[in-house]
Amino acid sequence: MKHEIIIAGFGGQGVLSMGKILAYSGLMEDKEVTWMPAYGPEQRGGTANVTVIVSDERISSPILSQYDIAIILNQPSLAKFEGKIKPGGILIYDGYGIIEPPTRKDIQVYRIDAMDEATERGIAKTFNMMVLGGLLKLCPVVSIESVLKALKKTLPERHHHLIPLNEEAIHIGMDIIKKVE
Amino acid sequence: MAGEDVVLMKGNEAIARAAINFGVDAYFGYPITPQSEVLETLAELKPWETTGMVVVQAESELAAINMVYGGAGTGKMCMTSSSSPGVSLKQEGISYIAGAELPCLIVNVMRGGPGLGTIQPSQADYFQTVKGGGHGDYRLIALAPASVQEMADFVGLAFDLAFKYRNPAIIIADGVIGQMMEKVVLPKPRRRLTDEEVLARCPWAANGRAKGRKPNIITSLELDPSIMEQRNIHLQKKYAEIEENEVRYEEIECEDAEYLIVAFGSCARIGLKAVEEARAQGIKVGLLRPITIWPFPSKAIKARAQQVKGILALELNAGQMIEDIKLAVECKIPVEHFGRLGGIVPDPDEVVAALKEKLIK
Repeated sequence: MKHEIIIAGFGGQGVLSMGKILAYSGLMEDKEVTWMPAYGPEQRGGTANVTVIVSDERISSPILSQYDIAIILNQPSLAKFEGKIKPGGILIYDGYGIIEPPTRKDIQVYRIDAMDEATERGIAKTFNMMVLGGLLKLCPVVSIESVLKALKKTLPERHHHLIPLNEEAIHIGMDIIKKVE
Repeated sequence: MAGEDVVLMKGNEAIARAAINFGVDAYFGYPITPQSEVLETLAELKPWETTGMVVVQAESELAAINMVYGGAGTGKMCMTSSSSPGVSLKQEGISYIAGAELPCLIVNVMRGGPGLGTIQPSQADYFQTVKGGGHGDYRLIALAPASVQEMADFVGLAFDLAFKYRNPAIIIADGVIGQMMEKVVLPKPRRRLTDEEVLARCPWAANGRAKGRKPNIITSLELDPSIMEQRNIHLQKKYAEIEENEVRYEEIECEDAEYLIVAFGSCARIGLKAVEEARAQGIKVGLLRPITIWPFPSKAIKARAQQVKGILALELNAGQMIEDIKLAVECKIPVEHFGRLGGIVPDPDEVVAALKEKLIK
């Protein structure tokens, strides 16, 4: 099994760290993983994206032409990546960042209002974990247990008390993701 | 790969951690994107408190390479790292180190040029790496990693080769390999060599006046041309020996190939995916990946030229390695180039399209 995933949004939305958690979770399951960021000036407010591949077999290219799954968090990223999703693939977008929704009919489109939900609950920083939860509901690329293990491994100990909050965010994400017909 | 030893990290971080574990004595560098994580990781891990490895952020790239020159002259394992514009600044020092026949490691995590260029990945320093860069008839042993694992492995390999031949070695990576995270198993930690062990390995080292021994002189200067010619002849003999013994390459899906992609570093990874895609379309294509871009795997490419109908040189530049491929095949079969420039990395579909357009037609 191989999952080829692009995560794209604004710099500062947690795009790279969401990808990192996904990659670490794959590592926890002994899978092959690559995490390839667009590492340009994006960190200072432009668009940011990261390609994450989680696979049972050796991974050839960390750079892809097409993706199984696209997680799109802003309008410019939708313009850039909607056309690069494999037919039958999955597109997840956050309603807050997208004014003109995707138009393709040959892919599965899901909407998650994670930004609104996270802001409303006063836990805006867990936004990306909600989106990750949404992904894991549709497609269990990795298990939630692995995600929690990965968080434990990657977060400095002083932040470990935040892991339950992140777990909660994952479950909220799983609840609020909706198929767009 | 399994177990606790497997970790996930960026290629740049792997270089730094591998250097500490391998028992490198000193690192001298100056930050530049996309390789700054090498120095950052070293600063974070503080190896001077554990292995005793020296880490210096020099005042400039010129200072850094000349610190390497000085340290290497004492027989210690010294390294530096930078990215394209910074490596250009180091060229004078590299030529001196090659001329003085000192072992050291230089890491170039290439970015798009010319000039200050861009911070995105590129392989446009191929000529600089294998055709000189600095002045004079010298060669660098040039290893081109295509994965984070190879970033870690090649640190030790580069030093082993550098000391075996008393010659500078270079790890020639790019922004993709430096910034990407992958699984890696680091070399087992070992202690640095003691001064006695260094002397036993490097009897030529300038380690201070020892009683009864003739002074060891480290220099690239020789004003008597008849002696300088002999020195050059000696260097050329050494380079021929390296070309004979140290060529490294990998061949994938080449047995039945009708076409061949030749690519190194990040391009080899993209090329491999292109091979998968092309084979799914019924095109029999293989990949030959030079692991050493100098010495170049000319014989292996020449051998495959007997079998394939054409070769695609895939590189992140306007066509540099293609010259060495053409020399290798003596222009007996078509050799075409495909690459993107200035920091743009092609995706595998573009490579398959180029293969069809330029070679299969």
